[in-house]
Amino acid sequence: MTHSDNGFFNSFGGKYVAEVLRGPLDELEIAFKEAMADPSFIKELETIQRDYIGRETPLLFAETATNLLGGAQIYIKLEGLANTGAHKINNAIGQCLLAKRMGKKRIIAETGAGQHGVAAAAACAKLGLDCTVYMGEVDVRRQQPNVAAMELYGAKVHAVTSGSRTLKDAVNEAMRDWAANPDTTHYVLGSALGPAPFPDMVREFQSVIGREVEKQVKERGLDVAAMIACVGGGSNSIGFFSPFIDKKEPVLIGVEAGGIGDGVGENAARMTGNAGREGIMHGYKSRFLLDDDGQALPTRSISAGLDYCGIGPQLAALGCSGRIKFTSARDDEALNAVKFFAKNEGVLFAMESAHAGAEAIRLAPTLPKDKAIIINMSGRGDKDVFITSPVFRKTEWLSFLHSEIERLEANEDIHTAQIMGK
Amino acid sequence: MKDNKIKLMSHLVAGYPTDELAFTAARALVDGGASILEVQLPFSDPSADGPAIQGACTEVLKRGYKTEDGLIFIAKLHKEFPEVSIYLMSYGSLVYTPGVENFCKKAAAAGVTGMIIPDLPFDFDEGLTAACQKNGMNNIPVAAPSMSPVRLKKMATAGFPYIYAALRTGITGTETSVDKATIDFLKATGEGGSKLYGGFGISNGNQAKALADSVEAIVAGSVFVRIITENKDNSEDLYKAVRAKAEELTNKNN
Ligand SMILES: Cc1ncc(COP(=O)(O)O)c(C=O)c1O
Repeated sequence: MTHSDNGFFNSFGGKYVAEVLRGPLDELEIAFKEAMADPSFIKELETIQRDYIGRETPLLFAETATNLLGGAQIYIKLEGLANTGAHKINNAIGQCLLAKRMGKKRIIAETGAGQHGVAAAAACAKLGLDCTVYMGEVDVRRQQPNVAAMELYGAKVHAVTSGSRTLKDAVNEAMRDWAANPDTTHYVLGSALGPAPFPDMVREFQSVIGREVEKQVKERGLDVAAMIACVGGGSNSIGFFSPFIDKKEPVLIGVEAGGIGDGVGENAARMTGNAGREGIMHGYKSRFLLDDDGQALPTRSISAGLDYCGIGPQLAALGCSGRIKFTSARDDEALNAVKFFAKNEGVLFAMESAHAGAEAIRLAPTLPKDKAIIINMSGRGDKDVFITSPVFRKTEWLSFLHSEIERLEANEDIHTAQIMGK
Repeated sequence: MKDNKIKLMSHLVAGYPTDELAFTAARALVDGGASILEVQLPFSDPSADGPAIQGACTEVLKRGYKTEDGLIFIAKLHKEFPEVSIYLMSYGSLVYTPGVENFCKKAAAAGVTGMIIPDLPFDFDEGLTAACQKNGMNNIPVAAPSMSPVRLKKMATAGFPYIYAALRTGITGTETSVDKATIDFLKATGEGGSKLYGGFGISNGNQAKALADSVEAIVAGSVFVRIITENKDNSEDLYKAVRAKAEELTNKNN
């Protein structure tokens, strides 16, 4: 099951949208198929992947980590080295190029961790498109560094105050905008979910990760036992897994947000948790965290990018068929993984990716030394200093924040004054 | 003999702002001439609704409101106003999760005669149309002006007794102008003989009059939700304001 059958992955997927969105989706599906069959589009995409995104990204042998854990060799696919700091750019560039080809001038996007928003904003800046990003108010607050970056790239960041004020509400808001402006606007959905053709399209644009891994593994003659990726909506994982789905090996592992516990509202575990069930929401059928009525349940994760109540339909189908194995990692395990790989490998994982790192720490010692496991480091953790610093160095961080506030209030903001020409 | 009254399907969020005031609003709508009540079951992610309705839904859900509460509310309306048709509007999740068949059975028992579920498209409805028929209800699909002619024709000729025509692309709650394109869209939607409900952004008597000849009933939603929100602290004012608006839209006093 490498792609959908008419928008469906077994029973998951589909286009469960109000008729207003049907036209734009059908138009997009046709345009996407045409573009992917057009060598000039593929060439343009490959050029920008190389020169702008910085592909291919390295596959790092995590030698110290491997020695410390004493089991399988750990490799890390450094998607965090892609321009803008995460895998999200692969999809954003692909969709923005497509939108341009379709004659759209305006891009809207939803974002959780902000990495997709940053990627969409940067792609728009690069390609000369207008950009509006919807982001839940809660996420705006916890991902300020990314909000600042989006604004620098010239995007309008729209804080969404409805519902749970996180990713799912940003999705709703973006869908509304699209429904009102389909002629001028393309909605760059940030993960392999939503109504068809998004799950297929996002996977194709992200599959560059997996194709590079396949090549890098071959070049080095690795015997890969497992590939591990974190799963929010599922774009980094499906892109990473994509070339391996139809093979029997390696084991593919998706790691969900275990949050702070197993209770309802304490995590975002749709495949492994207690509250995950089949449902229809946000335009597609998949597994969601829902109550008995079908209302979205609250979710919780230290990582904004994994804090979503649904999962891409292809991943849900592959999880149900057993091809992908799902696990979860809790907030504290993810924090430990950030620390472990930073200290021992000089690699700063994004909080999201650290969930995959945490699973690798658990798994590696159980496997023989001649086997390899690969972690997809979907993003780097620069954006997370406001989350990690209060945990790892609370006192220093507090005093830093205090002094920054004092400095701003005293108007000692010389840099701004200089730029503004005051 | 054609009287000059306009049939009105008026929308209402179940339980908003309270069950009691929602009931007062329903009474005002009926007294103001509404012949159909479209009752929305609040959903956590109402992606096709504008801010007025979305805000109302969020508030009701904050109280821990369940589907069952909404159905109890509907049953009460049905008992009080047996001559008024009640249509249930919501999203696919609330219908699919408990089981389409099961949901329809309960809705019919509460007195619902039609279902409007915009994100269960007519050709991928998870068995909604069949389950409605089985339980003596109609599934009422929603058409949009942006539909391709081929798709619109498919819907128009699929044998639905009623079709809800959303008169504008976009979401509920912003002003719609009724022009030639609107009337043409309605003609195409009704081509197969379905009766039409026309709405989205209808908030005044002039729009209602412009539509009256082209539809079975006009539909108005956000305008009432806004009036209810403005008057939620005083039940008498709420009744008067809602009734006056319904009378304006139904041309009742002319
Ligand atoms: C760095 C990073 N990794 C992972 C994710 C999770 O998304 P997905 O599962 O779609 O890759 C996000 C989402 O924002 C992210 O920013």
